[in-house]
Amino acid sequence: MTSRGTPSRFLQSVLQNGVGRYVCQLKRISLIFSKNGQSSLGAREFIEEGVVDFAIKNPGTVVYVSPQSCRIPKIVAEYLNGNVKEEAITSKTSQQIAELITKLTNQSGLDIIRIRKPIHTDSPSIQGQWHPFTNRPPSIGPIGPQKQQANERLCETS
Amino acid sequence: MASGYIVNRGVLIFGIHYQHVCRNVLLTQTREKKRWMKAYTLLMERKLKIEGPPPPKPRSQKPNWDYHAEVQAFSSRLKESFSPELLKTAFVNPCYIQSEQERRQALSVDSETAALVLGDNIQLHTQGLEFTKSFLSDWCKASFPSLPSKGVVAIVGHLTSHPVVCHVARNLAIEDLTMSAQFPVPDEVLHSTFLAVIGALQESSGAERAGLFLRDFLVTQLVGKDLFEMWSVVNPMGLLVEELSKRNVALPEPRLTRSAGAGTVLPLYFVGLYSDKKLLAEAPGETVLAAEEEAARVALRKLYGYTENRRPCDFSAAEQLGLMPSNPSATHKGHVTPSTMSSIS
Repeated sequence: MTSRGTPSRFLQSVLQNGVGRYVCQLKRISLIFSKNGQSSLGAREFIEEGVVDFAIKNPGTVVYVSPQSCRIPKIVAEYLNGNVKEEAITSKTSQQIAELITKLTNQSGLDIIRIRKPIHTDSPSIQGQWHPFTNRPPSIGPIGPQKQQANERLCETS
Repeated sequence: MASGYIVNRGVLIFGIHYQHVCRNVLLTQTREKKRWMKAYTLLMERKLKIEGPPPPKPRSQKPNWDYHAEVQAFSSRLKESFSPELLKTAFVNPCYIQSEQERRQALSVDSETAALVLGDNIQLHTQGLEFTKSFLSDWCKASFPSLPSKGVVAIVGHLTSHPVVCHVARNLAIEDLTMSAQFPVPDEVLHSTFLAVIGALQESSGAERAGLFLRDFLVTQLVGKDLFEMWSVVNPMGLLVEELSKRNVALPEPRLTRSAGAGTVLPLYFVGLYSDKKLLAEAPGETVLAAEEEAARVALRKLYGYTENRRPCDFSAAEQLGLMPSNPSATHKGHVTPSTMSSIS
């Protein structure tokens, strides 16, 4: 679909994150996996090796590990702005799951849709936004091209 | 899982599969296309259309919730060290305690056996509110020294208003941890919970850390906001005359500087305010009166140092900071010097 048919947003941060202190936007991550299914093999390995280190490195994120009988193991990530992201980790290796979790930790919770501009500023102009009257001498009357008297004087003297 | 499967002559005739879960429990399932599925789905959709979506449930009633872990994560996420009891007390609202007691009475639970040992957050709330207001006023006066007290009160009022505080609280996951009677948490309850959390922070870590917290989360909400969005001034020209007479500067005289399209549907007039023949401010408008009012507002913004191109506030790391930010606005120079200011802000 074209960009008009799909949703888009401007570049922004949640609660001006980073202007003051930086707050990790991931608040909760739940690992849903099966104890016996072969698609959860990577998930089980990750839980054996990597999840505790991850939880220690990110003390601001609560990690829930819930073994259930399910066909598709999932990671459910909840962010501070209320967004919930579910990712299936069917037949992924422990390494891939670790990378996926790092990616989720570094995201803010904002939607992953087209960003209209790669920039944002709250003070777009320092010297004043240009408008057609900038650098024109004040005049009341019909607007036309400015008379170039200074140019003629220069030509005369040279 | 397939170990308890028993082949039955039913498989060949009716398409029913039997499965032994254990010796006395038999599970039956049909794996073919289920002819009742479409009717059932349509019925449920019709029911949803009539009754509307189900009411939202608080996060604590959904699976995967550990209150103590969540509270700990809350304090480490914000890089603050709260004392756990104070923080948990800060989240308990009086409406929650009341509703819990009513529930216990309704279930006729003996009040001695299951006493509700929860403290209120009212005291923390009042403490937090006082501290917030005093800190924000001090911060405003330090960063905008020429802003009058009415302006400071307006800015502080805006920052402590329900919409702003609730927006901040929702994006810091305070709504998940709040214990209140209703869900979704009403604005006043969320507002008082946030202020109670500030009070708890002040008691646990001291006024400095609480001040930094407020600076990092409430003061940043000022980014991108204009002064007169927060402070509604009905007569900017009158206020400007007052300010200039206080500084012993000649009173402003409005002059039409530029005009275009005077007879059309979209006229444009630029009015400049001159004090003692030097330009204070110039602004456009659709009518001459509107342009004059706008020019008065622009002049006031320059006087108070709250222009869009002022030096940004200092949000640098905690180490170099006391409670007062170190960089007041650079466009303010005490006395108004119109000749050095750009004519159009």
